Amino acid sequence: MLTVTDLSVEYTDGARAIDAVCFSMKAGENIALIGANGAGKTSLLLALIGVLPSVSGEIRLGETILTKKTLREIRARIGLVFQNPDDQLFMPNLFEDIAFGPRSFGCPEAETIKRVTAALSQLGIENLAERSPLKLSGGEKRLAAIATVLAMNPEFLLFDEPTAFLDPRARRTLTAILAELPQGKLIATHDLAFAEQLCSQVLLLQKGKLVANRGREVLQDAATLEGAGL
Amino acid sequence: MSDISARLHNLRALESLSMGRTVIHRVHPLAKLFSALIFIVCTASFGRYDFAALTPYLFYPFVMMALAELPYKLLLSRMLIALPFCLFAGLSNVIFDKAAAFTVVGVTISLGILSLMTILLKMYLCVMAALLLVATTPFTELTAQLRRLHVPAVFVMVFEITFRYISVLLEEVYAMTTAYKLRSGSKKALDMRHMGSFVGQLLLRGFDRAERVHAAMGCRGYSLKSIPPPRRQLRSSDVLMLAAVCLPALLLRFFMVGHLYMTG
Repeated sequence: MLTVTDLSVEYTDGARAIDAVCFSMKAGENIALIGANGAGKTSLLLALIGVLPSVSGEIRLGETILTKKTLREIRARIGLVFQNPDDQLFMPNLFEDIAFGPRSFGCPEAETIKRVTAALSQLGIENLAERSPLKLSGGEKRLAAIATVLAMNPEFLLFDEPTAFLDPRARRTLTAILAELPQGKLIATHDLAFAEQLCSQVLLLQKGKLVANRGREVLQDAATLEGAGL
Repeated sequence: MSDISARLHNLRALESLSMGRTVIHRVHPLAKLFSALIFIVCTASFGRYDFAALTPYLFYPFVMMALAELPYKLLLSRMLIALPFCLFAGLSNVIFDKAAAFTVVGVTISLGILSLMTILLKMYLCVMAALLLVATTPFTELTAQLRRLHVPAVFVMVFEITFRYISVLLEEVYAMTTAYKLRSGSKKALDMRHMGSFVGQLLLRGFDRAERVHAAMGCRGYSLKSIPPPRRQLRSSDVLMLAAVCLPALLLRFFMVGHLYMTG
C-alpha cells in the first residue's frame, strides 16, 4: 500500500506546487491523476519518488516512510516513467539502458540479464535490444522507457503523460500493455478516455490541491472537470 | 546532415563501437584500463629525442584496432583534435633547438625537428591508447571500474556527467539552430545580435534538460556512492592480455630497443 498524507511541495521560489494532498493506493490498483496544465501532476509524481523534496507530510510505502535514508529503497520499489522518453533513455543501446537500473541497484550480472530479457519480452520489443534509443520511433521509445523501469521489478509504477506524442495505434498498444501489467499504477494524464479505460479511481488536482478523489464516474462529470480547469 | 548533427552522430559512434563483441571487447575492463595506463605512462616517459625508441610502440594501436575491428578513420579523426596543441608545443623547439641531430640523404635533421616528431608520435600513441580503451569498453563499465579502484567519486562523476551531457547539450543546440534557421530566412549562420540570447537560452535549456536526465538516473538508482558489482570476474585470459601489452611496453621502455638500434 502506498499512502500519502498531507503532502506539500514547494518550488524553489517558494510557490506551492502541491498543497496538503492525501490519498492511498493499493497494490495492483490503477489510479488516474488528472488536472489542467500546471495543476501539479508532475510535481506530485516527482515528490512520490523523492526527486522533489516535500516541505511537509509523509509518503509511506508499506512500512517504509520516504526519508533520505530510505530513498534508495523507495526508488527500487516505485518506478517513474517520464513524460519525455528522451530524458529517460541515455545509454548507447536499449539493452544497456534497461540494464542501467538493475546494475545501479547492485544486481548481479546474471540476474540483470534475466531482468532485461524479461522486460523486453513483456513489452514485445526484444528486436530493439541492440538499437540505439536515438533511432527508435515515438511509440518504441515509450515502450523502451517503460522497460527501463520494469527491469527494476517495482511494486508501483508512476506514469507522466504516457500517451503524449503517440499515434492512435501506439496508444492502443500502450493501453493493452499497461492493462496487463500487474503493478499498481498512478497515471498522470490529460487523455481522459485513456484514463477511463485503465483506471478505477481518479485524483483531480487543481492548483496543487486535491479537489476530488473518486471513482471513474468523475470523468463524466462535466461540471467538476470544468471547475478544475479541464 | 548538419554539422551539429554530424558531431552528435560521431559522438555516439564511439560509444556504439564499445558495444562490439570482438576478442578485445570481451577482455575485462580492469585489464584494459591497466594496460592502457601502463602503455601511456611508458610512452610519455621517453625523452624528447627518443623518436626511434618509440617507433616499436606503433604496433600496439594497429594490432588492437585490427583485433577489435575498429574503423581507423574514425579514431584518426578523433586523434587529430589533439594535433594543433602538440604542434604548438613542438614548433618552438624547431625554432630554438637548431643543433644537428643526424643527416638523412644529405638533409640535416635538427634536434628541434626530432623533438617535434617525438612529441607528435607520443601524442599519437597516448591519444590512440585512450581512444582504444573508450572504443572497446562501455563507458559505464569504465567508470564503474574506476569506482571499484576507489578513485574519488567526485572525479568519476565529472567524467560520467561530462560524457553524458555533451550529447544532451549538442541535441539542444541542434534543436535550437534548426528552429532558428527555419525562421531566419536565408541566413546560414547565427546572427551576432542573436548570439547572446541564443547562448543564454541554450544554457537554461541545457540546465533544465540535464536536471531531468539526472533525475531519471537517480530514479533508477544512480548515486555517487553506489558501486555496481563487476559484470564478471578477472580470468586468466584477461591477465594474459594485460601481460601481452605491459611486458613489451615495459621492456621497450627500460631497454630502449629502438634507441639502441638507431645509435648502434
